[in-house]
Amino acid sequence: MSIIYQGKSIRTMNPHLPQATHIAVRDGHILAVGTAQDIDGWQKAWGPLELNTDFASRSLLPGFIEGHSHMMEGMFWDYHYVGFYDREGPDGTVWPGLKSIDAVVDKLKEIQATREDKDTPLLAWGFDPIYFTDRRMNAADLDAVSEDCAVIVLHASLHILNANNFVMDAADVKNADNSEFIRRDENGQPNGEFLGQLGYYMAMRTTGINLLAIASSPETLVNFANVARQTGVTTATDLVNPVPEGSEKPMRDAIDADDFPMRLVVAFQGNSKEPDEAVARMQELQASNSDKLRFSIVKMVADGSIQGFSARLKWPHYYNGAENGLWYIEPERLGEYLKAYTKAGIQVHVHTNGDECTEVALDKIEEALREHPWPDHRHTLQHCQMATRAHFKRMKSLGVGVNLFSNHLYYWGDAHINITMGPERAARLDDAGGALAEGVPLAIHSDAPVTALAPLFTAWCAVNRLSSGGVTLGNGTQNITVEQALYAITMGAAYSLKMENEIGSLECGKRADIAILADDPVDVGAAGLKDISVIGTMVGGIVHLNQGRD
Amino acid sequence: MQTPATNARAQKTPLTIISGFLGSGKTSLLNHLLTQAGPENGGRRITAMVNDFGALNIDAELIAEKHGNQIALANGCVCCSIGDDLMRSFIEVMQQDPLPDHIIIEASGVAEPTRIAGFASVDPQMRLDGIVTLVDAAAHHIHANDPHLADNYGKQIEAAHLLLISKPDLANAQQRAALNDELRAAYPHVPLAEVTHGKMPIDVVLGLNSDSAPALPTDEMAHNLVQWAGHLPPLPRHKIVKRLETLRPHVLRAKGVLRDSAGDYVLHLAGGRISTETYAGDASGHFVIIGKPQMPDAATLEKLFTQNEAA
Repeated sequence: MSIIYQGKSIRTMNPHLPQATHIAVRDGHILAVGTAQDIDGWQKAWGPLELNTDFASRSLLPGFIEGHSHMMEGMFWDYHYVGFYDREGPDGTVWPGLKSIDAVVDKLKEIQATREDKDTPLLAWGFDPIYFTDRRMNAADLDAVSEDCAVIVLHASLHILNANNFVMDAADVKNADNSEFIRRDENGQPNGEFLGQLGYYMAMRTTGINLLAIASSPETLVNFANVARQTGVTTATDLVNPVPEGSEKPMRDAIDADDFPMRLVVAFQGNSKEPDEAVARMQELQASNSDKLRFSIVKMVADGSIQGFSARLKWPHYYNGAENGLWYIEPERLGEYLKAYTKAGIQVHVHTNGDECTEVALDKIEEALREHPWPDHRHTLQHCQMATRAHFKRMKSLGVGVNLFSNHLYYWGDAHINITMGPERAARLDDAGGALAEGVPLAIHSDAPVTALAPLFTAWCAVNRLSSGGVTLGNGTQNITVEQALYAITMGAAYSLKMENEIGSLECGKRADIAILADDPVDVGAAGLKDISVIGTMVGGIVHLNQGRD
Repeated sequence: MQTPATNARAQKTPLTIISGFLGSGKTSLLNHLLTQAGPENGGRRITAMVNDFGALNIDAELIAEKHGNQIALANGCVCCSIGDDLMRSFIEVMQQDPLPDHIIIEASGVAEPTRIAGFASVDPQMRLDGIVTLVDAAAHHIHANDPHLADNYGKQIEAAHLLLISKPDLANAQQRAALNDELRAAYPHVPLAEVTHGKMPIDVVLGLNSDSAPALPTDEMAHNLVQWAGHLPPLPRHKIVKRLETLRPHVLRAKGVLRDSAGDYVLHLAGGRISTETYAGDASGHFVIIGKPQMPDAATLEKLFTQNEAA
């Protein structure tokens, strides 16, 4: 079936025809883009074409591409959201933001009261203590929810969780001398907060919930895609997945279904096998790609996070005096993997948060390229939050792209100014303006579920650089324009995934992936970007509407 | 859900962490430990968590079964590949039924061993036995001055309950002596020994924080270490402890099932700590010390521990 969709405005990201009003779609692809005057010609060349005016009052953009997210986003919706901000679940239900610790506890009490099986573990997620400066949530808060079952609250950062005494007793941690992972109160008693992976491990070992298994189930995928659809995303990434043997087939079955509203690019966990085996596995995976599911990139994680004080920073390290962060892989091993993948022609995305890590990653990429020259490798640094302009210059020379974690500016901007980086260095946090000024291919991301998946919000962050505390980070040279931000969440991200010939712009021959918006983001302008209502998406010519939007 | 009974320390599976930089000999040590283990040899049923099966270089004849990321060895031990996901690996290992007698993890070269130890502290069924850090004799100077890794290197050494200087043959005499002096001065109570090709008795490496009845080592000390065994008369335990103290820093391990007027007890020197505890059985008076060649000779030790007057 061939249909011409009429929009109020179409922003194509195609420099030869930046704006249009009509777009013709056939067999999942874009047949033509133009205006009402072009329709006669299209009918003669390719007719018959049916005119659809459902979106005649809407703005159409290329479907948004989330270049750094995690399938885990879909997992948590089986549990209870207790975040500070309103968040919309996969079924369209809006979970209201909870503005105090007491409000979180009350919400959990309410949930517990209505649960049928009160002895099963109660799991909540999205809690963010950064908004509650007067005190920290503790075990007693959660004991008030229940003393007879495990009550666990995962933090938004995914780096910390809170547990009640039931969990601490079961895990037998009260006398553990390893205080680095267990926060304590002034009396030296564990206060119920657990840091890092260990909290998750403890939660799984004491509740029996296998958070890892859920992460790759078809239900999780569907939830993830539905959250993505609500924000105008037509292609998302699962930016690190070990893809165990046999797991690709169930993923493909779920994703290839027509009603699955998203394409997914899976980044293979680069060091989950030794270099030779990993290259072989990656080649095997690439052979099983479909239109909607791609195993096309590899992810390597080189350090931790800035707000978790585990990012590797150059001297003088953290502003509050915390000791330098962690390497997640030996730099030498990172180099070995980069060489193996570069030799095999496999694109690598490297997670680097701190500037020391960014520099080492660039060293290792350069070494790999000297051994195995590859003009369009397009290796990409992910997060890369503290890169200097000198780093961007070097990235340009090396052909390395960047995908910046712009949402950090809002969620942790104040913390970076006051605690982790100090005002001078925080000014260059996620310097999208710098990347473009130096000519580095740019994408921007949410790292969902670490922050909410919503490319228009991410674009708003990169354009405005405003923290949740109302402070502007930088002096204006780090900001990008609305148009540049829209490019970053479409063509920029497509380029970072080597999919710019398929998706990312609306032009003849490309896939019919469209974000359907209530208003034209360029007309709305910088301040209102994040508030634009997303009506739905089109993926490969199939329309997926969000409920209750106008 | 764990009952209080299963939380009892004695029922928790001990975890030993082998730490050290890339190339420091972690895999060689693990290899050697595995050859000394397994119920087939009357020893522990070990699960080893490793980064790379290939590097382990397990004799094909020893492999009983290979399944996904696990290799079952003919001697009853199991090797698991960690991949890049330590948490997933620990979940899998702790799902084994029955649980292994001992878990050994070969940490990545940049891992902070105290962080890995955290898994044991939050797991209802696991406890930390010890952290063994390998220090590459020839590369020590390079690692200690690496602009990106020096801090990490220091943390690995600082965390150790047992320090093993590897590849002493690749360092010159001056380097060896300097390294030995440096570590001895910085960590006077941490046992320190040289190891070549990973050859170290399993009872020196495992059981650093043991409180179970000791399996007295009987094997030949083919590891450039010396062993002395004897039977001790029922001397007051504080005297034995005091005499043992005089042998530092040459002793790596000591175990005794002894008796004095207060009753039967077990004495340990492990991980640099000396401890005693009540023994429920019938003490034999058997006492074993594993130490370095610099340890006094057998006659001296015999005299030291059996004489009735204060040493």
